[in-house]
Amino acid sequence: MSEFFQATVILGLLTAGVRLATPFLFAGLGEMLSQRSGVLNLGVEGIMLIGAFVSFYVAFESGNLYLGLLAAVLAGGFMGLLTAFVSVTMKAVQGISGIGIHILGLGLSGLFFRLTMGSISTMRGFPRLAIPILKDIPVLGRVLFNQNWMVYAALLLVPISWAVIYKTTFGLKVRSVGENPHAADSLGISVTRVRYICVIIGSIMASIAGAFLTIGQHEAAFVNNIAAGRGFIAVALVYFAKWNPLGVLAGAFLFSMIDAFQLRIQIIDIGIPYEIPVMLPYIVTIVVLALSTRGRVLGPTALTKPFVRGVHT
Amino acid sequence: MKKLLLSMMVLVLLAAGLVVVGCAAEEAQDDTLKIGLILPSGRDDMSWSQGMYEGVNAVIANMGAGNARMAVTENVPNPVDAGAAIRDYANQGFNIIIAHGSQYQNPLMEVAADFPEVTFAHGTAFETAQNIFAYDPQAQLGAYLFGWLAAQMTESQVLGIVGPVRAGDAIKYNYGFIQGVEAADPSIRVLESYTGSFGDNIQAKEMAEAHINARADILTGTAQQVVGAIQAVSENDGVYWFANDTDQSPLAPNSIIASQAYSWETVVQYMVDSHMAGKLGGEIISLDLTNERIQLVFNPVLMDLVPADLMAEFEVLKADVASGAIQVRLPE
Repeated sequence: MSEFFQATVILGLLTAGVRLATPFLFAGLGEMLSQRSGVLNLGVEGIMLIGAFVSFYVAFESGNLYLGLLAAVLAGGFMGLLTAFVSVTMKAVQGISGIGIHILGLGLSGLFFRLTMGSISTMRGFPRLAIPILKDIPVLGRVLFNQNWMVYAALLLVPISWAVIYKTTFGLKVRSVGENPHAADSLGISVTRVRYICVIIGSIMASIAGAFLTIGQHEAAFVNNIAAGRGFIAVALVYFAKWNPLGVLAGAFLFSMIDAFQLRIQIIDIGIPYEIPVMLPYIVTIVVLALSTRGRVLGPTALTKPFVRGVHT
Repeated sequence: MKKLLLSMMVLVLLAAGLVVVGCAAEEAQDDTLKIGLILPSGRDDMSWSQGMYEGVNAVIANMGAGNARMAVTENVPNPVDAGAAIRDYANQGFNIIIAHGSQYQNPLMEVAADFPEVTFAHGTAFETAQNIFAYDPQAQLGAYLFGWLAAQMTESQVLGIVGPVRAGDAIKYNYGFIQGVEAADPSIRVLESYTGSFGDNIQAKEMAEAHINARADILTGTAQQVVGAIQAVSENDGVYWFANDTDQSPLAPNSIIASQAYSWETVVQYMVDSHMAGKLGGEIISLDLTNERIQLVFNPVLMDLVPADLMAEFEVLKADVASGAIQVRLPE
């Protein structure tokens, strides 16, 4: 037990927690924006898979990681356009169409992987980028400032998202479209346009989350279904976060730190079945969600409701 | 609404037409030996599924493409979905149906009872019937030898096992590895942990990182998730990996010392020969060191890490394990 409290193990735990939180931050913040505008995008997992494959394939073929990332952005944008078309223009039931987008992403990423690469290959992904001076801060320096740049970008997106949603005209439009699209429409705001923009940005962020799972790793590889459910956890985190970027940060860190903790508690062999630590992140998240009744915030009023001018649903 | 219904009817009729045409094409080549393969993960997972897929392919290549063919249903970890695929292959007239996972036992037994002329096979398993082969890789044998060798090679005196779930092939492998370490030096610490998933590579990578943080310098593990763990190992200098299922050294040539590779080709060939001779099942096919269905493949790039005298000792031990002079216990 004592070796668990060694500095290297604790530092490793915290560093891993930040690393594990990164895809949840990208995907969760993107999903939050989409839901704020009134569109539930359950296809996040599938879009992550598309982003994971496309970024890896393009980076592998071109030898340029940034080109891979750009390809993920474009692919995410296309998937966002598709999602918005189905949900906003065609007014499909969002839960069902989201599952369709997930299955499409799962199938396409696997199919294209087979057609283009055929077998698992590896390459160097983005390396660690230690930030001068900040990296020397005790504990915090190694945990926060000795990661790769995608981790920093994900962390920076939290205050940026908060500022966009609460301090800009665009954020006000997004919130009004998500809360009362008819009122927004009467004020001349294009509900369709705002929702398209939010879904596309959210999907691009989901795709970048997927790219983090491949080229965001020092040793990069793509395998089928690499997201392994992380997209669905990101959707759940938005509810946990009460549609607030700071809540997404808290939820992502809570889940990931406990996950990093359970990976380490297993190896000190304290005589409990391994299934219990494996369940721990989910149990704690559910308990925190259930107990956080104070200040409960309901979701955007128009969430999942298609907008039809003059028809109130 | 009427248009929608009409469109759907047209689509259904078209689909039915395609099925009929497909079946007709099938019947035209009825003398071809047809092998149906159900895999829990992708056929390119560099692990359990890929090994069997390549094994069946090799047998078909030996027989000649006109004499045999294979159809594959992959990424079916769920036994209920697999059951539907097994029955579908049987209905289509496939001669040999291989459900490559221990989780498929119940649906396979159920379907096999309805198709006594078809050969069914599954593993890791022990349940057989008149038309069912079970195959059983003795994963613990190579694992014991790797555990022994890892114990000789470790500098930190800490080793790590990145497991998927505590069941089937994984538990046999881990059990053997730990016995091998204990046989060499009981004071060496083996960290054993499980991700709870067969296919979550990112989680396996983080688990391997956790082992490395805890000073493990040689790691091992099983299932298709190990690709992630191998990534973590190859990111750290002086950390190495012992692989299982197939020769995984191309994944990380500077990190994988050796692989325990199952020779599925010989297993499938045995089942095909038996089927053609009229024996449809009723036997447990063991993969072990004596029948050479398990091969220990050393990575030539890292052979320098294993001195000649250590390799000589290893070979003696291997002969003892293969002959049964050294008994490797299985979990009770």
